[in-house]
Amino acid sequence: MKILVAVKQTAALEEDFEIRDDGLDVDEDFMMYDLNEWDDFSLEEAMKIKESSDTDVEVVVVSVGPDRVDESLRKCLAKGADRAIRVWDDAAEGSDAIVIGRILTEVIKKEAPDMVFAGVQSSDQAYASTGISVASYLNWPHAAVVADLQYKPGDNKAVIRRELEGGMLQEVEINCPAVLTIQLGINKPRYASLRGIKQAATKPIEEVSLAEIGLSANDVGVGKSMSRVRRMYIPEKGRATMIEGTISEQAAKIIQIINEFKGA
Amino acid sequence: MMFGSADTLVQLAIKTRDPYIAAAVHELATGIAKLELEALICGTRRTALAIARWEHTPASVLTALAGIHDDAIELRLDKNPGTSSGVLSNLYEDASKKGKSGLTKLIAQHLNSGTEVLKRIALHSNDVECLLALSKNTSANSKVLAALSERVSGSDIAVAIHKNIAQNISASAELLARIFDKSDVYTQTAILGHEHCPASLIAKSAASEEVLMMRVLARNRRVSKESLQRYADCDDAGVRAGVASNALTPVAIFRHLLRDKSELVRREVASRIDLSEEHIEALSSDADPWVRQRIARNPTTSLDVLYKLAVDEVADVRRAVARNTMSAVHLLNMLAEDKHAWVRSGVAYQANASQRILIKLADDKDVDVLSGVANNPNTPQTILKGLVRSTEADVRRGVILNKSATRNTLLPLLEDPYYLHRMLLVQNPHLQAQDKWSLRDDPDSQVRFSVYRWAANICLKMPDTFLVTK
Repeated sequence: MKILVAVKQTAALEEDFEIRDDGLDVDEDFMMYDLNEWDDFSLEEAMKIKESSDTDVEVVVVSVGPDRVDESLRKCLAKGADRAIRVWDDAAEGSDAIVIGRILTEVIKKEAPDMVFAGVQSSDQAYASTGISVASYLNWPHAAVVADLQYKPGDNKAVIRRELEGGMLQEVEINCPAVLTIQLGINKPRYASLRGIKQAATKPIEEVSLAEIGLSANDVGVGKSMSRVRRMYIPEKGRATMIEGTISEQAAKIIQIINEFKGA
Repeated sequence: MMFGSADTLVQLAIKTRDPYIAAAVHELATGIAKLELEALICGTRRTALAIARWEHTPASVLTALAGIHDDAIELRLDKNPGTSSGVLSNLYEDASKKGKSGLTKLIAQHLNSGTEVLKRIALHSNDVECLLALSKNTSANSKVLAALSERVSGSDIAVAIHKNIAQNISASAELLARIFDKSDVYTQTAILGHEHCPASLIAKSAASEEVLMMRVLARNRRVSKESLQRYADCDDAGVRAGVASNALTPVAIFRHLLRDKSELVRREVASRIDLSEEHIEALSSDADPWVRQRIARNPTTSLDVLYKLAVDEVADVRRAVARNTMSAVHLLNMLAEDKHAWVRSGVAYQANASQRILIKLADDKDVDVLSGVANNPNTPQTILKGLVRSTEADVRRGVILNKSATRNTLLPLLEDPYYLHRMLLVQNPHLQAQDKWSLRDDPDSQVRFSVYRWAANICLKMPDTFLVTK
């Protein structure tokens, strides 16, 4: 039994940042990299299945990205993932979520897992389409925004609960293998133990080239993407007003605003 | 293994090639070693930006970073609470020359900004935001605030500036008196609530019918009994609540507030420590659970009343009994069986809880209860050693924060998965130097920084000490 977890190293911004000279992204100097928050939950869900199973379950994490991504993959290994694979080629720079989905799909075909987990979205780009595009390329069943999962290795069906608007849950039975995009809060992700971190430091990360998964530079990158960033910018500030004055004056103004909203 | 003298520690830090460790020992280094550390800290712009922003970065490192002359780094230095007065002074000169009012504003509000810089901003800045920021800065002394007040007097921003000065703890009685007469009721109210408000203004305002002023004056210990009596009869509940909270309100006045129609007033009365048994008895049956809760927490409440409140229908009231410093062991034993985990947790945190109660609560499944047991200095070491293995980080943190936890109990926590716990252990007085030093290669940069900073502080305090660990 094998579960493949697609993960991404995402960038968080400092409070003060600068846009790159080409206007297409934030200057890398102002980015702090870490494992995508949603992917932490996906990995934990895979680890829960692995640890509660009587049979052997292998958890493999896969990411598409440059060398720096190894740090996030090691974090996954430290938390208990068995193997880590990183695919990269400089030609893949600027690939949109659909192209990333295509790359992941070729790895998945090679690995032949029984289930694929991905985060609902990434915290930096938020397209929420990588997992779904993987399902589409594989022609596998998929479910998005999974907030609960009942699945045992070997089962040909899984029961999931999907989070909908208004606090509603939708219980769905899905055929396996399937691609599930996992929602925050489905579990409580663990911290990596010190021993796990030390062991992960010596574990190899399998570096895979495009050629090894049957792709070439022509299949990836900006040119092959169906969407392209035209510019990135900070919009003009809205109409927020600071309530000034002494404390009692601020309180009086807040009461006035509340009363106006209530129509008093 | 050892780190020995300051020089040895600095050389060890250089060998690690770690910018955070370099920052930790920077203050100790001199000459070439210092330059080598700075090369690590400023190795990449990305690292320099992160360290300039970090709130734990030592002042000496921030001073070194100021030498880079990078606008993005200077912005972070202006915001960093650890930046020294000298660096801020230089940054002010630079910002003034370049006409960067945004940076000047940050310097105007920085608590480490020196008087001379603040005075220059007060006298020369033409940026409204800078002047407003300065008027809120509690590091600006009364002379600076007076200079600012005089300069803006009569201008459009005078009202806003004076509102801020009226709330600034550094404002002198003389300045407040000068502002008072030309201010609106809000500013006057803020001045009346100011610690340095002249007695003459309080006396002059005591007869005011302004509700806002009466609310502030009713809480003031400098008002006369006659004024308190008048405020106690006021229609406004906020004014009466002020009287009820005033420690100098005589019994003859506040006893009429025991049955006040507003629960806000009764809650304030219930917190007083000069209540008679009769008062406490009356308030313990109040319809408002918050009033009963305050009586349950009041250290002057008798055991008889605490027993009555220990079976109150509201869990928060029962928890308040459990937290009361005067609660007896028998009462705590009873509350340790409470159906509500929030109440049992109150017992677990209670300083009077006996070892017997804590041993019983250690079998609880609730994380709040177990955290309380872990925190309680009365908990036996055998129990704490078990709680160290809890899967709940809050429980393990309770053991780390427990003042009675011994070295042997704490040792396994050096392997705790949560980095913050390992950082806390570096400050723990029960662990030995060798225990803390074992964390120097920790995977987390903040833990490594803490260990080296701890070692650097020892060297700074006792330069002749040669620390050796094995």
